[in-house]
Amino acid sequence: MTAVFALPPYVPPPGVAALRAEIRAFIAANLPAGDPVHRANSWSVADNGFSRALGAAGWLGMVWPRRWGGHERPAMDRYIVLEELLAAGAPVGAHWIADRQTGPLLLRYGTDAQRAKYLPGMARGETYACIGLSEPGAGSDLAAVRSRAEKVAGGWRINGQKLWTSGAHRSHVMLALLRSEAGSERGAGLSQFLIDLDTPGITIRPVINLTGEHDFNEVFFDDVMVDDAALVGGEGNGWAQVTDELALERSGPERYLSSHALLVTLIDAARSASADNQARASGTENAALRATIGKLVAELWTLRQMSMATAAKLAGGDDPVVEAAIVKDLGNDFEQRLPLAVQAVLDLDLDGSTDLVRLLGHLLQVSPSFSLRGGTREILRGIIARGLGLR
Amino acid sequence: MSELRPQVVATAQALFAAAPDWSAIVAAGFPLLLVPEADGGFGGDWGDAFAVLQIAGGEALAQPLAEAMLAAQLIARAGVAQPAGLVTIGSGGGHAIGGVFTGHVAAVPWGRDAAHIVATIDTGADDPVMLLLPRGQVSEGSSPAGEPRDQLDYRGVPALRLGGADHALFGAFLRVAQSAGALGAALELATTHVNTRVQFGKPLAKLQAVQQSLAVLAEEVAAVQMAGAAAAAALDRGDGAFEMMAAKLRTNMAIHRGVALAHQVHGAIGFTQDYPLHRLTRRLMGWRSDFGGDSWAELLGEQALSAPGAELWADIVQRGDA
Repeated sequence: MTAVFALPPYVPPPGVAALRAEIRAFIAANLPAGDPVHRANSWSVADNGFSRALGAAGWLGMVWPRRWGGHERPAMDRYIVLEELLAAGAPVGAHWIADRQTGPLLLRYGTDAQRAKYLPGMARGETYACIGLSEPGAGSDLAAVRSRAEKVAGGWRINGQKLWTSGAHRSHVMLALLRSEAGSERGAGLSQFLIDLDTPGITIRPVINLTGEHDFNEVFFDDVMVDDAALVGGEGNGWAQVTDELALERSGPERYLSSHALLVTLIDAARSASADNQARASGTENAALRATIGKLVAELWTLRQMSMATAAKLAGGDDPVVEAAIVKDLGNDFEQRLPLAVQAVLDLDLDGSTDLVRLLGHLLQVSPSFSLRGGTREILRGIIARGLGLR
Repeated sequence: MSELRPQVVATAQALFAAAPDWSAIVAAGFPLLLVPEADGGFGGDWGDAFAVLQIAGGEALAQPLAEAMLAAQLIARAGVAQPAGLVTIGSGGGHAIGGVFTGHVAAVPWGRDAAHIVATIDTGADDPVMLLLPRGQVSEGSSPAGEPRDQLDYRGVPALRLGGADHALFGAFLRVAQSAGALGAALELATTHVNTRVQFGKPLAKLQAVQQSLAVLAEEVAAVQMAGAAAAAALDRGDGAFEMMAAKLRTNMAIHRGVALAHQVHGAIGFTQDYPLHRLTRRLMGWRSDFGGDSWAELLGEQALSAPGAELWADIVQRGDA
């Protein structure tokens, strides 16, 4: 029998109820009223005030050393806090990248000077980071990166362009993958640089997405001068480091909860219709609606088990590459199908007249991106196929 | 994990691979896996049952092990001594008055071979009753995979009441366990096939379209294995009703998606009597209907609708934290 997901179910330790109560109390006290549509896909919704409040309460940099502003909590404590924030639809987009991957990468590969400079601000929810990977000619084929860093006296001169950079316009730093060895090809000769985005020569331009929102950017580097301290990790070690960085972002709860707000709102709307109108009684008489919700709940529960089991494996120091790819692909498929399932079972005019309709309309438009960001469906399935010994 | 699991798993792997007859399975003690040691059983937990039935599913074991295991557990839970011979399970209708049953039990797995049946009977009252019945008048039927599924009819037959519980959810869980093994075995067959079958001058495995299909099959296997393991863990903690329903629903989705892919990459070769894939896939397709099928979805949906939307998350999480 082929065991492609040989992970035991994760059982949270005693005391987890107290942790949940704590973060839920924080959410209840701090969640901005705002537009209910922003509860969906909320790790793309930036709210600097909320991020600072999270930082002040000790919910950022949770696993990092105290010396760098962290709180030295167990990795699974952080997981539990993240899933509670996402399930509640909290706007965690501002600090998300710094907390999830830039900070951990600095802890693994950075110098003490880099850690001292950036980590405390990240843990306070004040310093935000963006990911400098994609370029016009390098999307899924990341090794085609061409932006270059040229060694000069006392530092590096950077030229080139990054594209599809989410949140660059609200970030302080970019962790960029650059070609540091002239004439190198593919994964060789690449290095990572942490670049302050207020450095002269950097131009950030919005790329407006299909719903009219500003999330993407293109970032131009024209003779940008950074000093030697901007190099993160080993010169020429960029490809290996980026591979590590990507492993941190594939199996988290954000990979299956992006549409959760719609399920919550659907249940509330059905209950309210049922209370308002006993004859129609959507909640109690609509068997198709009940069955749709039941199947979605079954998938939600299964994905949470898979995501937690993978997180526990990561927390143990292992690198469950295949398992993480499985969680992301199944999770993305779920969060993409959820709006379609709701659309199929309710006869709604998408006229923006209610929270339910607005959430549904929003997710129908943005959900195709869920299986693009952070590794496309095809790339993930290629990773799984390699795990099966097919390539 | 129970202390006896490694031994039980090793025994099951060796025995089930040899297509044993029923007496060999009984001799190894497997039907009594879930019966407490004090009652003459193994004292295994639900995790043990999950492990053993996964192996049985992977070997396409054509024996009523899951049914006998559950029947023995239900009999032991009712404080009744285990009767001799095969005991299987089923659902039906009728009335049991003064210890005498008249009615029927439908689609009983291996009903024709059973000495006794643990049957959940709808008597028209609010709650069904669970009875221990002898074998009734047999009308033979068969499952899609060709296994016995027999109707048993009764007129004035002595019946022993075991309690009010419904066995269907537990039956659903056992099918999840078998499906986890069978779908995993289908993936293994498919993987071996595409690595050896040459078309276009190379193994099928080198074609990206084939790789992507098998990746999806592997994802579905992963989902069933995780759902089943998590449901077993919940049962061993105490209440696993929600988890058994969720796991069965997720398993039904996985069979829907996975069986088609396993056959797709095999082409016509997988569609023959000689090739072993059908022993897995025909059973999997039939198991989707067993013990409630997709009808659990309405119940899960009703539960979700019984509280405000935000409570859904709190409830799922609280069950896992317990």
